[in-house]
Amino acid sequence: MSMRNILKENRPQLRSRANVVATGIGYKIVKGKKTSDLCIICSVKKKLPLSMLSAKDIIPLEISGAPVDVLETGVIRAFLGRTDRWRPAPGGVSIGHQNITAGTLGCLAKKNGQTFILSNNHVLANSNDASPGDAILQPGPYDGGKFPNDYMAKLHEFVPIVFLTPEPPDGCGIAKSVASILNGIAKILGRKTRMRTIVMQEGENLVDAAIALPLSEADVSPEILEIGMIQGLSEGELGMAIKKSGRTTAVTTGEILQVDVTVDVEYGSGRIARYADQLMAGAMSQGGDSGSAVLDNNKNLVGLLFAGSDTTTVINRIQNVFSALGLHL
Amino acid sequence: MSLSIQEIKKKHEARLMALPGVVSVGIGRTSDGQAAIIIGLDRSRPETEKRIPKKLGGYPVRFEIIGPVKAQ
Repeated sequence: MSMRNILKENRPQLRSRANVVATGIGYKIVKGKKTSDLCIICSVKKKLPLSMLSAKDIIPLEISGAPVDVLETGVIRAFLGRTDRWRPAPGGVSIGHQNITAGTLGCLAKKNGQTFILSNNHVLANSNDASPGDAILQPGPYDGGKFPNDYMAKLHEFVPIVFLTPEPPDGCGIAKSVASILNGIAKILGRKTRMRTIVMQEGENLVDAAIALPLSEADVSPEILEIGMIQGLSEGELGMAIKKSGRTTAVTTGEILQVDVTVDVEYGSGRIARYADQLMAGAMSQGGDSGSAVLDNNKNLVGLLFAGSDTTTVINRIQNVFSALGLHL
Repeated sequence: MSLSIQEIKKKHEARLMALPGVVSVGIGRTSDGQAAIIIGLDRSRPETEKRIPKKLGGYPVRFEIIGPVKAQ
């Protein structure tokens, strides 16, 4: 009988033994060296002394004349996607406030010695409609994140977004006016919180940013998925090559095509916010990538991605983000 | 002394952003590498383009249809 048929016949009884996670055919390994002899390989979570196994779980040395090797592989997990649950969670995976859909965990940053998760206000603070202490889920609610199982961090602080009133429907060109700044501030000051608005943005925003405090530092990783460790900070410049790691489109690359950009960004339900001093790149993101850390080719942090159109990506300068929230690496 | 492109952009920005269909104003480059003021439009807007000179403070103006910009 061929090795394959022997395995086919015996797979069920091998898989029924404790600890067996996989079966296959391969070259027998003797004293750490691969031989030219084929054998059946039984992968186990952990190799245990025979004395600790019941007779029915002991893997035979030979089945129907075919030698059997036991290989310790540990638990085999499915490849994790960016919308899955990650512990520790690196930059580039799904995250979100309990009342939003999902965005991207940007990266970690420090404030007063504590480690925080950095992403957008509209990802971690539901576009101002949130309070410090609110639950942040990883993955975000759209990706199946649920309270309390996926509760990973608490909203700590956000820079309020100032919205413009919508254009009048007849479009007769009345200047857009600033709305609800005072409401926003009252709402914030009214809460028992350490949150402060550091830079007052009169009608114009510089950043869409918020930080969340992980419930445990062991639940987050300083790495950016498929990019690696952040090396430092860098000023975004015209022509600079950049990359990001995001929930929806993973790692994508681009080039800073415009600087000093003033841009009106739609937030749904007719809300528009004007941003100044932005970086603009070509299309390198989609919905759900908001909050992604943007890095240069030397893995220096350049910005925080938050918006885009069919042909563009809009990025906050990381210097503005860090100064608005009092962060450092 | 002529003004820098940043100063020129700043001077005209509010007026440009108020024109129908203007979504963004930034500083970029023309196809031949010259510093330029780039105006992003939500769609084809010939009427708006007509109201903006080809150069501002000596710097070329370029239009790009970028579509509406949305929080992602």
